[in-house]
Amino acid sequence: MNNSKLITFVAIVIPVLAVMLAARFLGFPVFERIATLLFINMILVLGLQAFMGNSGILSFAHIAFMGIGAYTSSLFTIPLQMRGMVLPDLYPVLKPILLSPYAAIAVGAVAAMLVAALVAYPLMRLSDAAAVITSFALLVVMHTIMVNWSEVTNGPRTLFGVPKATTIYLAAGGAILAALVALYFKESRTGLLLRAVRDDEIAAGAMGANLSLLRWKGFVLSALFAGFAGGLWAHFITSYQPSAFYLKETFVILGMLVIGGAGTVSGAVLGTFVVTFAFEALRATENALNSSSVFPWQLVGLTEIVLALAMIAVLVLRPGGLIEAEEFGATWRKWRRRG
Amino acid sequence: MLEIEGIELRYGAVKAVRDVSLRMEQGELVTLLGANGAGKSSTLKSIAGVLKPARGTIRLDGQDISGLSPEQLVRRGVAMVPETRDVFPDLTVEENLQLGAFCRRRDTRGVAASRERMFDLFPLLAERTRQPAGTLSGGQQQQLVIARAMMSDPRLLLLDEPSLGLAPVIVDRIFEMIVELRQSGVTILLVEQNATKALKISDRSYVLSLGRVAASGTSDDIAARSDLKSIYLG
Amino acid sequence: MAVYVQFLIDVLSLGSLYALMALGLVIVYGILKLVNFAYGELIMVAGYSLFLLGGTPLPWLVMAAIAVLMAIGAGIATEYAAFRPVRSKSVTAVLITSFAFSTLLQNAALLFISPRARTVPLPDIFSDTVVLGGATIPLRNILTIVAAAIMLAIFSFIMKKTVLGLAMRAAATKFTMARMLGIPANLVITSAFALSGLLAGVVSLFWLGRIGSVVPGIGLEPLLVAFIATVIGGMRSLQGAVVGGFLLALIVTTFNYSLPPELLKFRDAFTFSLVILILLWRPDGLIKGPATGQRT
Repeated sequence: MNNSKLITFVAIVIPVLAVMLAARFLGFPVFERIATLLFINMILVLGLQAFMGNSGILSFAHIAFMGIGAYTSSLFTIPLQMRGMVLPDLYPVLKPILLSPYAAIAVGAVAAMLVAALVAYPLMRLSDAAAVITSFALLVVMHTIMVNWSEVTNGPRTLFGVPKATTIYLAAGGAILAALVALYFKESRTGLLLRAVRDDEIAAGAMGANLSLLRWKGFVLSALFAGFAGGLWAHFITSYQPSAFYLKETFVILGMLVIGGAGTVSGAVLGTFVVTFAFEALRATENALNSSSVFPWQLVGLTEIVLALAMIAVLVLRPGGLIEAEEFGATWRKWRRRG
Repeated sequence: MLEIEGIELRYGAVKAVRDVSLRMEQGELVTLLGANGAGKSSTLKSIAGVLKPARGTIRLDGQDISGLSPEQLVRRGVAMVPETRDVFPDLTVEENLQLGAFCRRRDTRGVAASRERMFDLFPLLAERTRQPAGTLSGGQQQQLVIARAMMSDPRLLLLDEPSLGLAPVIVDRIFEMIVELRQSGVTILLVEQNATKALKISDRSYVLSLGRVAASGTSDDIAARSDLKSIYLG
Repeated sequence: MAVYVQFLIDVLSLGSLYALMALGLVIVYGILKLVNFAYGELIMVAGYSLFLLGGTPLPWLVMAAIAVLMAIGAGIATEYAAFRPVRSKSVTAVLITSFAFSTLLQNAALLFISPRARTVPLPDIFSDTVVLGGATIPLRNILTIVAAAIMLAIFSFIMKKTVLGLAMRAAATKFTMARMLGIPANLVITSAFALSGLLAGVVSLFWLGRIGSVVPGIGLEPLLVAFIATVIGGMRSLQGAVVGGFLLALIVTTFNYSLPPELLKFRDAFTFSLVILILLWRPDGLIKGPATGQRT
């Protein structure tokens, strides 16, 4: 690891640890909950960054892979005596298998990765609008399957009984690991070639770069992140339904990445922090206003409106996001040299 | 009428034109010569408002026009015929011409008169008014884009390589038409690879090389200087 | 006999709506290469306008006209808020702003109106039925077909016979060249969004006629339908969008008549897998159009 990458990594680790310790020891359970969800979202955003940031292609399907990770891992951890009640139509083969939550989360991540590896390759040669519509269609297909495959998802109803296993330490550790992998992937041969293709598809193709293969590697890696985050999330939330993995969540994750800067790992992390804090502050305001009845009706949707406006503003004023092109470490070294 | 002073044009980090200045008087036919990549087309594009100069100014009748959009420039009497010969393929010849007169569409009498004039000048088009432009031959398409540009009744016509890729007989015909247009009083700036022919019909010429003006003068003088041939013939 | 008449009317009325939905999406895509994710929200805006006007003593046709005007306004607003500022930037940026604008409008409806469904006023004629060839047909299905035929005729007239329509078709193929002839880029773009809003507004009236009420998420299904229909019909061809709309209605209605319920619930998974397969086979959709997708 060279110097500038190390500085970037440290700059990511410090706030993660600081937030973790503050949330853990300030003594408010709600802080711990917010921080844990922040770290899980960070894994999702970093996963999307690994694909979108390097390839330049917008993917709507990301959240569906989070769903695959969540449902797959839950299948193996719901206590045996509850399974008949939660999933009455579960296939007999799956009924007796019980794994430890950590093993199950790993299985979920691998399952998401395998699904991505199987379906994504042919999609990777598409660009622009065709690529976006196919990824959107993929999201709809996987969502429809989650809503209707009652045997393993309990259909559109809530799946419950998932044991709580994700601690704030596990989530923080996962987030740090994800940042490390994302940094390495960006500078790897695949990452460098992907970015070359993004900047000039024809020239990079002429140099012999296999466009589909490169994008496929990025996509599969990003699905692995998403599946991992899904497993962590499921074992933190413990009961959920398919609607958790659809457009609303897509919008939040995309907002974090776009505001922070899709091109850089530092940007993805910064975006996750900024949007989470802004979201929680707004939600607290919303709740306070609702309970004090300043308005005659319930305020819902204010946070999303603000996030939407922030996204548009960032894309207009600073299209690359808060950290556009250069990782934090490189910028820091320039400052040091100048100062 | 047209004065360009020290313009620099860029595509991202690449400088296509480093430092070009030129002047044109009302009614002149001026040729820009130079090898591929010398900056001829970019210079035309900047006059038409498609490329914004990074430095320098472009003045039309003494007014700075370097910040104007292509559509504003058409209204000021500048018409451009790009080398890509962009007809609207699924529209008919008639409809293509109608769009050429977009900014004076309310002047129905004037538009009808221009249309008649263009059909006199390009009789081939008159026979094919209802045919989709995409089905015309290359030479016919070239005549259509010139006629279409003339429908805006321009004072300054910018022609980018009108003879590109056409058969010699048709090239001769296109050059005759350029001369006819010029006689009707339009000021023309012509970019050409076919230097011999262009020098023959034009009043003055500029020779560009690597984004700078390498030589300028009357077309007869330029044609007589054998040392320049290696520059504009590439 | 009655079943066939029923089937035919079902396909035609659903197809009429799908065709108009697809056309509204393609008019913007064809010229600007923008997949407008906020398109469904134009239908939502018309729906809520109708709901808000429900308490007034205005005749229904006036309410409907205002609702359509609101959809046109929302279309133009989309252009100003989400498209114009990022027009010269990357395709991805434009997609994200339109997605963000869609979320913005939906949540504005949540915030200022209600997350719950709101009933919209509909004329009595919408709930009448007629007997045709032995089948009892809701009159609104016939009205939908008639209205769509009129809209398609108007649309075709605008695109083929007016200078503005010609300018839009020209800009769809060669945007820069159109500007070099003096056709203002902003005029063309705003007109495309306004036409998109007009189509969405008219669709909204009949779509609401089918479902009776408006919710903030009402735009999602029309958006998905328009996606599929345009992909089937060719993403750059106006005629293709119409053909695609009717074809999709044929496919969906056939599924509805023939699939058993346990497979029918996976219908969307089938149709969207079809979309993916078609795009893999032909990335520009089945019918090739003339557009090139310049937009500056």
